[in-house]
Amino acid sequence: MNPEPLISLRSVGVRVGSTQILRDVNLDVASGDVVGLFGANGAGKTTALRLMATLIRPVSGTGVVLGADLTSAERYDVRRRIGMVGHVPGIFPELTLLENLVYSARVAGVPLEHAQEALAAVGLAGAADRLAGASSHGMQRRTEFARELMIDRSILLLDEPHSALDRDAVDLVEGLIERKAAEGGAVIVVSHDRDRIEAIAQRSVELRGGTLV
Amino acid sequence: MTSGFWHQVRAVAHRDLLRERRRGDVLWVTIPFGALALLLVPLAIGTDAKLLREIGAGMYWVIVMLFGVLVAVGKASRETQPQQDASSLLGLDPAAGYVGRTASSLILLLAFELAVGAVAVGLYDIDLLGVGWLVLTLVVVALGLALLGTLTASIVNSTSAGTALVPLLVAPLSVPLLLGATQAYDGLRYGHTIVSWVLLMAAVVLVVAMIGVLTARPLQES
Amino acid sequence: MKVQTRVRTWPWVAIAFSLVVALALSLVSPRDDVQGELVRIMYLHVPAAWLAYVAFFITFLGSVAYLLTKHLRWDRLAAASAEIGVFFTGLTLVLGMIWGKSTWGIPWTWDARLTLTAIMFFVYLGYLALRRTTDDQVLRASRAAVLGVLGAVQIPLVHFSVVWWRTLHQPPSILRPDGPAIQDPLMMVTLVTGVVAFTVIYASLMVKRIELLHLEEQLAEIERSTERPVAGEAVVVPELGRNP
Repeated sequence: MNPEPLISLRSVGVRVGSTQILRDVNLDVASGDVVGLFGANGAGKTTALRLMATLIRPVSGTGVVLGADLTSAERYDVRRRIGMVGHVPGIFPELTLLENLVYSARVAGVPLEHAQEALAAVGLAGAADRLAGASSHGMQRRTEFARELMIDRSILLLDEPHSALDRDAVDLVEGLIERKAAEGGAVIVVSHDRDRIEAIAQRSVELRGGTLV
Repeated sequence: MTSGFWHQVRAVAHRDLLRERRRGDVLWVTIPFGALALLLVPLAIGTDAKLLREIGAGMYWVIVMLFGVLVAVGKASRETQPQQDASSLLGLDPAAGYVGRTASSLILLLAFELAVGAVAVGLYDIDLLGVGWLVLTLVVVALGLALLGTLTASIVNSTSAGTALVPLLVAPLSVPLLLGATQAYDGLRYGHTIVSWVLLMAAVVLVVAMIGVLTARPLQES
Repeated sequence: MKVQTRVRTWPWVAIAFSLVVALALSLVSPRDDVQGELVRIMYLHVPAAWLAYVAFFITFLGSVAYLLTKHLRWDRLAAASAEIGVFFTGLTLVLGMIWGKSTWGIPWTWDARLTLTAIMFFVYLGYLALRRTTDDQVLRASRAAVLGVLGAVQIPLVHFSVVWWRTLHQPPSILRPDGPAIQDPLMMVTLVTGVVAFTVIYASLMVKRIELLHLEEQLAEIERSTERPVAGEAVVVPELGRNP
């Protein structure tokens, strides 16, 4: 018997204000899947990721993520199991890299010592006390990956994970993806680097005309 | 597995206070601006000591109302969409986020009130009567403004006007706080009971707190 | 989708009729012993004030209903009522100031009711300003509904604070703003007719405004359901590229 997919979208449409971004999107992502998502600039890739992160409600169709209907209040209950690293960092520039992780640990209910371990795992132990705003874009992204290492997630959504990363950090990201898939989670990766993603993803989909082809 | 509600409240409050400590917006901008406003008033209306002593307390509370809103607004305006998304995906309860932001605003507003209050006492020769009641009034007003400011900042979040609209929304709704605070001081000055004014301000706090907590989740909808 | 095509005209008839009746009666009713001809302003001022409070109460009810049901019809009700309420509130204030200037020589006396009305005016002006800044229909409805509830729940507290404040501070030693009690039966009839007429005007304006809001939403829905390019299709291959 096939287990339920972690993400199931059927004819999903998303509108922002009066602007249609996604239309008739169909996608199933099962446990252990790594899916590459490509598309031109402005195609709606980030919107698609935010939809799968339960941060946006669809205006049409049916979307279920981790068993929660995307139009119901259940979606709040599953957010803790979804990780997302966007192409714009979601960390606070006024806090140090470590303080950002400690904040995340506190809210997510993770032991605080994991923050220090996670920072070390991404190679930033020596920069723990550096302000995030004074750190490079690559360091900020590494910090976000550290956050995802720290928290147990079933789904990982990555938006341009390779951008601003050096070679070591790129290896880190790919290691994280492989590990998540091996653990039974699912990973969706948005990228313009098709070759690199297709090397680790089982399949790829393209966003064109607001729908997945 | 999400940590307790109050644990999250403390995490958010700590985060915002730490950010304020590093940015210094309240300490280096809002407080001096409020103090400057108190200085400008006598330049405009006259420097008669008796007149200033008479209007001093009222001017102080008006400055607290109008400038205090900037304390709650300033913080909220600095939370970007990716930051909000990240917090949401940590399992942050929207109500805990509201209470946490309010708590940090409360502390900053109390600091603002004390600092600007010292200036007002100096410039306007205001008598400090009934210190216990005064402190209670300061706390209740700060709490009311923090609740109102944080709630209205959530209401205008992701609209095109952004936080510029917050003062217009907060000011008329904070009239009971303004009147309560000024009448409480007058009551202390003339030996009248001020319990009803304190209760009125407490009612504002209770009402806004309830609405803020109950609507935290619907307001997070995008 | 069924599109509403019939536009109601009876509200305009009702508004015109009510206005004529109210104005006619206010002109034929006797002059007041104390206020003289200025009493006629009261026949517009009092009904306008009554409607202002009714309108904002309806906005509150519509806001609560929307938050509970998420049906946009309640948002339309709340929005229409707030717009009309702001108009009647403004009218109340202006008429009150005209009456005050003519009677006492000053347009504003910080009377509790006038002060409360002025505060309400700003509360609902803020409500309308919030609606104007939000394009997304659902976002606008939910944000406005929360503000509609917050504003309305605060109004009684504002009312108490202002009344107590004015109670403590002695009223002016000149005429009270609400004037002497109405003795003449025709004056009472005129006042009550004015209230009824303004209520009819309010209801008629509500019908027309909700109708207009509904038509706007239907138009938006038609535009949305029409097959149009998604946002991403606006991005094409740049003309400026590498030389082959």
